[in-house]
Amino acid sequence: MSENAIVIDDVTKIYSTGALEVQALRGVSFTIERGDYVAIMGPSGSGKSTLMNLIGCLDRPTTGRYTLDGIDVGTLDDNALAAIRLKKLGFVFQGFNLLSRTNAIKNVALPLFYAGISQREREKTALAMLGEVGLGDRGTHKPNELSGGQQQRVAIARALVNDPAVLLADEPTGNLDSTTSVEIMALFRHLNESGRTIIMVTHDPETARYAKRTIRVRDGLVVSDERSDTVPSALEVT
Amino acid sequence: MLTQIGPFFSEAFAVLLGNKTRSLLTVLGLIIGVAAVISIQILGKGMSGAVTGVLGTLNDRSFFVFPNSRQADVFKAAIKYTDIAKTTSLFPNIVAALPAGGVQRLMTAGHHHARLSLTSESDIAFATVPLIYGRNLSADDIGRSAHVCVLANNGYKRLFPDGGDPVGTSVRVSERRFIVIGVQGAPTAGIVPTNFGGDVLIPYTTFVAEFLRTRPLFAAKFLVRDPSEIGATEVAVIKYLKSIKNGRSEYQTFDRRSFSSSIDGIFTALTLVVSLIGAVSLVVAGIGIMNIMLVSVTERTREIGVRKAIGATSGQVLAQFFIEALLLSGVGCGIGLVLGLAIGAAVDRFALVAISGVVPEIPWVQSVVIAVGFATIVTLVFGTYPAYRAARLDPIEALRYE
Repeated sequence: MSENAIVIDDVTKIYSTGALEVQALRGVSFTIERGDYVAIMGPSGSGKSTLMNLIGCLDRPTTGRYTLDGIDVGTLDDNALAAIRLKKLGFVFQGFNLLSRTNAIKNVALPLFYAGISQREREKTALAMLGEVGLGDRGTHKPNELSGGQQQRVAIARALVNDPAVLLADEPTGNLDSTTSVEIMALFRHLNESGRTIIMVTHDPETARYAKRTIRVRDGLVVSDERSDTVPSALEVT
Repeated sequence: MLTQIGPFFSEAFAVLLGNKTRSLLTVLGLIIGVAAVISIQILGKGMSGAVTGVLGTLNDRSFFVFPNSRQADVFKAAIKYTDIAKTTSLFPNIVAALPAGGVQRLMTAGHHHARLSLTSESDIAFATVPLIYGRNLSADDIGRSAHVCVLANNGYKRLFPDGGDPVGTSVRVSERRFIVIGVQGAPTAGIVPTNFGGDVLIPYTTFVAEFLRTRPLFAAKFLVRDPSEIGATEVAVIKYLKSIKNGRSEYQTFDRRSFSSSIDGIFTALTLVVSLIGAVSLVVAGIGIMNIMLVSVTERTREIGVRKAIGATSGQVLAQFFIEALLLSGVGCGIGLVLGLAIGAAVDRFALVAISGVVPEIPWVQSVVIAVGFATIVTLVFGTYPAYRAARLDPIEALRYE
């Protein structure tokens, strides 16, 4: 097993829409170690969403290599990519993206459903995961019965339920007020301290401050990559 | 990888239950279509069964000849018995030719009188009605022109209202006495009259000698040796009778086989029409299901994106929507099946049984096959495309969908 969770090596991504070619990434390279907590920042149009989709195995690079948890994912077919997303990645979205009809436990258990785990085992694991994000008593609530922060916690529990190599968060605080944002950041912090690798895409410097390392992207290139020594402790902020 | 298919069903079931009104309205077309096809085919089977059941008492070896009613003067078509009698020697397939229909006479048995129809019959009866007493006419009775009679059930009830076995007693018609040798049971009530007017049946030889004499006939019964040749024999007899009348009269025939095959023809046509209606309703209902499934896929684009991002394969997304379509059409066809069976059975029970007295068999297997077939076809033809659309969605695009 490699020490690195993610190795991006000279990756480019070109979108061609008809005659028009858009070069979203122009050769990006970086490595993310296990247990790191990285924020990827950049203005809109910078290529950070493209980068996020590549890291999330929702898309393939045009050229270059991408190795996730020791697996070269650039050459995999759609089904293999789905399997990687299922086993190696956990997604947290800006808009939570929970299934509105089903309760928290079933939402959290969804990846386990696709992994072919029995219902009893699924619900047991899901409930334990909800406990870990502080929602052990909200298992039977549907998304519309939960606050925004609680919904995001359910989404985080869902992202973690398959014990992924990387937790990938896209603007995780984008839909939350500042108090709740701080709570979620505290949770991320706690998860990172317990060994989780977290990659967070954001345009908000306040949120990025919580990460240990910040990679800035602009015009399809990495413009800066720095470690922060003054990570605010979540407890301090609250 | 589809490790378990069961959970997909419970998922799909939850989705459809979450949208009860829409689901019900979606499958309404299917319910009506399946119910209509099943109930009408039960009805068709019932009618056909009732007719065959009733005609089952007629034998295959005899036919009637009578003047075609669509001619200027039916009375000119009357036939002499002597001409009819000649057919036995002219046509090798004809065993016997006898006058059909009877004469009304006042009859007496003991103290009871009744005006009844006296009919000629041979030893091979046109309709096989079971006897409750005694025996049928024999070839010997015919040969001897015996003064014996078989009482049809109506004749028996009128002349022997007190019941009991009358075999051996006599029935008086004018000055003649006929010894009762047999009594028929009640004929099956039917939509086709099996009792061709006879109350008291006597050997046709006796009937011709004593009652018909030289009077002309309007209808004749023929017995044939080989029932498979009956059609050709009928044509030949009609041709023979027309030649006697120099082609100025028209005749027609009636036998069990051609009658039941013409009835069968009607029901075959009916079944064909119903099948066409069924096919149309199938298409309409299927388009309804496809439409709602496409709407559902569009509505749930984001959900599909999330499922794919989480790690669902295209195959698993396909399975989810395919199974939703399968459940919709399965439930629709199931309800349609129950409804169709109920309507069909009710009509059978309250209408057909009352008319024919025959309890038709419900074609269970055929009904289930129709319902399952409908569900399968609708799902395959109209459920595949929406499921395919869902499976093909690009997760990045789907997640961005508002």
